[in-house]
Amino acid sequence: MNKQLAMVIDSSLCIDCKACTLACKIENNVPDGYWRNWVKRSEPDFTNPEWMNHRTPLHFQPGGCMHCEAPTCVQACPTGATYKDDAKDGAIKVDPKLCIGCGSCIPACPYGARYKHPTKNIVDKCDYCEKRRERGELPACVITCPTKARVFGDINDPNSDAALLLKKNQSIRITNKESDTKPNMYYLSATAPLNWPVKAKMPDAIQLWKLVGPLIWGVVGLNALGVLVMLGKQLLITDKEPDTDISRKETRRS
Amino acid sequence: MTQTLIHRHTRLSIFMHWFNAGCWIFLLLTGLGLIRNDDLQPFPFWPTMLRTVFGGGGNLLLAHELIGITWAGGFLLYGIIRLKSDVFPFIRDIFTVDIRRDFLWLITKGIQMTLGYKLLGVVAEKFDFNPKIPDQGFYNIGQKIFAIPAVFGGMVIAASGIVMILSQTGNADTEWVQWAIVIHFITVGLVFAGLLIHVFMASIAAGEKPAFISMFTGTVPEDYARHHHKLWLDEFKKS
Ligand code: HEM
Ligand code: SF4
Ligand code: SF4
Repeated sequence: MNKQLAMVIDSSLCIDCKACTLACKIENNVPDGYWRNWVKRSEPDFTNPEWMNHRTPLHFQPGGCMHCEAPTCVQACPTGATYKDDAKDGAIKVDPKLCIGCGSCIPACPYGARYKHPTKNIVDKCDYCEKRRERGELPACVITCPTKARVFGDINDPNSDAALLLKKNQSIRITNKESDTKPNMYYLSATAPLNWPVKAKMPDAIQLWKLVGPLIWGVVGLNALGVLVMLGKQLLITDKEPDTDISRKETRRS
Repeated sequence: MTQTLIHRHTRLSIFMHWFNAGCWIFLLLTGLGLIRNDDLQPFPFWPTMLRTVFGGGGNLLLAHELIGITWAGGFLLYGIIRLKSDVFPFIRDIFTVDIRRDFLWLITKGIQMTLGYKLLGVVAEKFDFNPKIPDQGFYNIGQKIFAIPAVFGGMVIAASGIVMILSQTGNADTEWVQWAIVIHFITVGLVFAGLLIHVFMASIAAGEKPAFISMFTGTVPEDYARHHHKLWLDEFKKS
């Protein structure tokens, strides 16, 4: 079976120290004002007396690009610069040499996982620290987390930490009902917040392309057919221009 | 049999034509290879194959951009140095339309190309019009109908291409870039559809061989000119 890298997160362990977001920023040179990953928090519900029994009324939830199984970002990219690398590890990647920074993929992600890099002018997002993994190391956020809330690995390998954790526990995926991208980020159940992913938005221009594309191909096809008909006619039928007769008759008539 | 040869194209305009054709073929093939999206690419094998040949999508993009800039830059230069001698006369030629004459040309030529002269005679008899294909000027209306979108389409293609280049230098708003990509595709598609007819008419269609040869030699035999572009020949003789 192909590799499928994924993250399994026990958000109840997260203490909101944000070490993962800093480690990521440093590791990947993420520019000022942008983040590749995040820690979200639930709205504290003080009306529920139960909160007194918890250690905290808040719940913290680490996240990042979810390397989805049905990624809407890939559906939005015209060139395949954003793609799912099934041959290698199943992660969603951006080819920096092919991306032109059109930004179509940014609103197409329900999780806000992408941004346009202000100096590289291409789209950037989590790549599970591909360079570190090539050296055999874990992603920066995973290795940094002091409580080991983020667990990372190949979930198709039954002996990986991620697969084992997933097997032992009930888990959920956080999705927007209207755009279920089948994220490869699993949260051990009872995580919060849950309602934050937005509906994926295909840019208008890309939508128009998907609509008129078949029309354009149709026009090209029709013209190609026309050429074939003319060619056939030319090859099969000898068609001599009639001279004098018709012309003379016509001259008389006109 | 010796024939008087009439000058039709200058050497530089012949060069520009084949420069254009060469660039177009390269840009069409590489451009098609840049589209890789399940909903947008009817021939998915093509981008896969081309990316292997070029050693990755990044190289393919770079090649497309370099030839595209060469093509647009070449025409910009040509347009500047030959503005008065070539560009203005060309624009005037392709926009000079004699509605009645040219409409009749389209009808009669269209029937002849598809049904043949015999049926053209029959149809003309039935609908009572002159089946003689009307005389034409330097370009016939069929050529003009292709040339106008080819010229303006070319400008749209170049402009949208430049917007995409500017995206990579951080000088274009993403929304503009997204529209540029779609406009680039639609314009190329429509001009390409016309190009199929153009290439057929210019290199395969019966009776057009002298025009094809003129795109290398620059001259056409007088008989050909009289038959295909009589109004131009008359004008030419006068001057
Ligand atoms: C290999 C393919 C091509 C062939 C064989 C070809 C052939 C020709 C010939 C023989 C002419 C001269 C017609 C005359 O003397 O009246 C011509 C003109 C022209 N060509 Fe091409 N051509 C090709 C590709 C292209 C491409 C890619 C374009 C760009 C869209 C183009 C645009 C034009 C235009 C605008 C004219 C002038 C108007 C016309 O004759 O339609 N050609 N071509
Ligand atoms: S989280 Fe967003 S950017 Fe990441 S794979 Fe899913 S849709 Fe794409
Ligand atoms: S910005 Fe996104 S959609 Fe545009 S080319 Fe880059 S990866 Fe593809």
